[in-house]
Amino acid sequence: MLRSKSYTIAAALALAAPSAAWAQAQNDILIGVDEPLTGDVAASGNYVTDGARIAEAAINAHGGVLGRKIRLVIEDNKSNPRDAATAAQRLIVRDHVPVLMGAWGSTFTLSVMPMLIENSVPMVVETSSSPKITTSGNPWVFRIAPTSEMEAKSFAAKISQFNPPIRKADFLAVNNDFGLGSINAFKTALSAAGVQIGAIQTMSPDATDMSAQLATIKKSGGDTLFLTTEVEQIILVLKQAAEQRLGQRVITDGGSSSPDQLIAQAGAAANGNYFTVFFAPWFPEKAPYPDLAKAFVQAWTGQKYPVPGMTEGYRGYDGISTIAAAITAAGKVDPDAIRQALWKVKVKGLNGDISFVPQGPKGKESGQNEANVYIVKIVDGKVTLQ
Amino acid sequence: MAEFLQFTVNAIILGGTYALLGIGLTLIFGIMRVVNFTHGDLYAFGAYMIYMFAALLRLDFFASIALAGVLGFLFGGAIEFVLLRPLTGADIDTTMLVMIGASIALQAGEQLIWTGVARSVPTPFSNAPVVIGPVSVLPIRLFVLSVAVCLLVGFYLLINRTRLGVAMRATFQDADTAALMGVNNGLIYTITFALGSSLAALAGALLGPIFVITPTMGNLVALKAFAIVILGGLGNIVGATVGGFVLAFAEEFGAGYISSGYRDGIGFLLIILVLIVRPQGLFAMKERIG
Amino acid sequence: MRRASAWLIVVVMATLPWWMRDQYDLYILTSAGIFIVAAISLNLLLGYTGQLSLGHVAFFGIGAYVSALMALGFQLDYGADQPWIVDPQPVWFAFAGGIVVAGCFGWLIGRLAFRVRGAYFVIVSISFAEVMRLVALNWVSLTQGPMALNNIPPLSIWIPGRGVEPLYSREYFYELVLAVIVVCFLITQRLVSSRTGRAFVALRENEPLARSIGINVTHYLVTATVVSAGMAGAAGGLFAFSIHIVDPDVFLFVYTVTMVIMVIGGGKGTLSGPIVGGLVFGILPELLRDVARPEVQWLLYGAVMILIVFFLPQGIAPAVGSLFAHFSGRVFRKMGPGLSA
Repeated sequence: MLRSKSYTIAAALALAAPSAAWAQAQNDILIGVDEPLTGDVAASGNYVTDGARIAEAAINAHGGVLGRKIRLVIEDNKSNPRDAATAAQRLIVRDHVPVLMGAWGSTFTLSVMPMLIENSVPMVVETSSSPKITTSGNPWVFRIAPTSEMEAKSFAAKISQFNPPIRKADFLAVNNDFGLGSINAFKTALSAAGVQIGAIQTMSPDATDMSAQLATIKKSGGDTLFLTTEVEQIILVLKQAAEQRLGQRVITDGGSSSPDQLIAQAGAAANGNYFTVFFAPWFPEKAPYPDLAKAFVQAWTGQKYPVPGMTEGYRGYDGISTIAAAITAAGKVDPDAIRQALWKVKVKGLNGDISFVPQGPKGKESGQNEANVYIVKIVDGKVTLQ
Repeated sequence: MAEFLQFTVNAIILGGTYALLGIGLTLIFGIMRVVNFTHGDLYAFGAYMIYMFAALLRLDFFASIALAGVLGFLFGGAIEFVLLRPLTGADIDTTMLVMIGASIALQAGEQLIWTGVARSVPTPFSNAPVVIGPVSVLPIRLFVLSVAVCLLVGFYLLINRTRLGVAMRATFQDADTAALMGVNNGLIYTITFALGSSLAALAGALLGPIFVITPTMGNLVALKAFAIVILGGLGNIVGATVGGFVLAFAEEFGAGYISSGYRDGIGFLLIILVLIVRPQGLFAMKERIG
Repeated sequence: MRRASAWLIVVVMATLPWWMRDQYDLYILTSAGIFIVAAISLNLLLGYTGQLSLGHVAFFGIGAYVSALMALGFQLDYGADQPWIVDPQPVWFAFAGGIVVAGCFGWLIGRLAFRVRGAYFVIVSISFAEVMRLVALNWVSLTQGPMALNNIPPLSIWIPGRGVEPLYSREYFYELVLAVIVVCFLITQRLVSSRTGRAFVALRENEPLARSIGINVTHYLVTATVVSAGMAGAAGGLFAFSIHIVDPDVFLFVYTVTMVIMVIGGGKGTLSGPIVGGLVFGILPELLRDVARPEVQWLLYGAVMILIVFFLPQGIAPAVGSLFAHFSGRVFRKMGPGLSA
């Protein structure tokens, strides 16, 4: 008698469970993610998405947001602006996400931005560095990544730490908005600090042979080369600079370098060089929030994501954390409420404190975070903090 | 003066590998009239093969290069047999479309297997550059140049001194007559495609350790290979070799003295100039004027 | 009867936004539509005159850049004391400007490139597109280079009763793209059924023979290039006004590849080929988003292309056409020598 009853209850529960799970899934808060998962910059897009996934898991483990789980809806923008817009359209119109994160490259983000106004949906920008993003008069854009200007100013303030001192600087950057913007920003900041400007060279994003540029830089008489590009080209530049016995020390800016990968792949050529990073996974205890950093590093290595990816993966993590905090502060899952809440949040991120100040034309300001910059140096195959 | 010499040395080394790529494609594009979009992907394939053998499986570096070449040959032959053989006699557009589809699938496959993260290959060569006066160059680059020269010479001998070479040249000049003379056209085409692909794979295996390996590394390289083929004249081995060196010199000196931003476009500017002034290419065997 | 059925299709497509409620599907159709215009233009060159142009994206990009520059205003420093300053122009004027300038480049390239044929022409066309991309990338003072031209204003039209409305709305933009497709289709149809069209086919089938009977081959090739370039420029302008940002990546080789796939896969040398191809290959990547992870989507896309070429070597439209043989007319049948136009 008891048995059949318990069987009935068990059966009822078994039938209810999947529909309960389904109902639960319907209750999830959706967050759109528009990143390059295939194409030329797929490596970086995947790192950022991995970081976002870690944030999703961590937030859900702590009870989610407003009592509900968050769920990332991830779309591939195939490393081009047209698909970035298509992916965003899909997320906003088909999946009805109340908020997005994306889209990695500046031109990708710029092509998504008009849609945000059309559909009144906010987006957190986690990587793109073009100044246009926050000065185009789009009140639905909130950028946590630092601009090149911030990075340059932050760097110039630390310039006295360098021995031998920086007297004449040369530049080598990738010929896109990221590289060119960086050259402009650092040129301005360094000139203001009394540094002479030497040779300025550029390279195409898929160039593999920079010997001509390096030969020109070699004879410029400078003592420091500021290098801005993605990690694949950094490896090549460092190797070729060593091959040509470049006299200058190399400082890589932009925060897209990955010192671990450079140590592994550039070998001895990486030694003695400096890098700006926005998150230093080798010294979680020195991060503004050490427990957070340690947990992130543990989760990342636990998931067996590639170790060199942490310097970019943190962006995804901070982006999702910011969004989750804004939804909590808004109290409801509504795009406009989330937008208003983004202005008010103060988030403890891997990079430091995240909050937004207005930037851009009056009445249509976008949000910009003032991020921290760290300088690390590779000495004998190990990363040391400057 | 110092950088003039450095540019020259760099250009010679770059030219060797460009020549390998050009020869491979001039055979395929020139003889088979196939717009081979997979040429760049075979280059990437060769690079991933040496990564797999030398970096992952820790085999001997030099053996890995040879293995990559052999696999490139087999893979190229397979592509021709499966995708192009059934389309014998079809339009150039049709085969081009198939090659585009194959290229898309190959790159996707490479990303699926290896992900987009750049790969490096450890080499048995020292990382200390060889210094001669004001010029410095890594030992591995000198190795690459010597291998490229050997392959170029070997190829030249193959085409001009062997029966296979005769058969290939005969098919190039007049496929029907060659068939009447007993040449198996289908087999020649398969071998030609396989040879061209193996050269691309070898170029990838040689350059992979110098640069880094990514799934899209073949794209720019493929475009340049087409440029070299045109400069040298379709189907012309010597022309492709010279074209490879010409392009390398133009790029190095153009980037060094004129503008680094336009470096990769110099090849294309050259082509436009050459074709306006001398439409048959620098060394064409056949005229193609409009 | 056949003409009526073609117009019926147009009317049905025109009313689509009102019974297709899904905005995202409308967006995909519009986006595919822009590339259909480009495919129709490429078909004129590739399908009807038989010239394998792999640089067609150059005209697309020129149209996009000129439309954007004229709509935003620009200044050109040509070495004189004062740079040539152009104020922002009305958007429709900018759109027309894109078409005209693209056509002019078509004339220029036609005169230069048609000194060679076949494989050489393929390379020249690729080279031209690459050089345009580098110019757009490096001439920063004019084109903003990689920093991109953004905040491009939308097209606006005057609606009776509502005044001037910006074409942000998906429905109106869709109608515009549809209208441009119809216009380009009609232009192509008129052209290929005229004497000029017969000359195109003649020189495609046998150039030396055509030349020997007095057809001025270069003249006809240049004509085809100019019209083709103008239409591609229109597609580029539509692209600029739909996505509101233009950067040198608009000249990427992959866009040429997309157009080529649409033309050949759809059926080159047929009037409806580029439209069918554009729909299939424009919608397919989006359908695949639901099916598999990103890398596998690309694998499937490549596989589908190969399969279509193997099983439907003439393209989709002719295959479909022979299925519906009693429906189709000249719209589906490939124009060959001797067939009535």
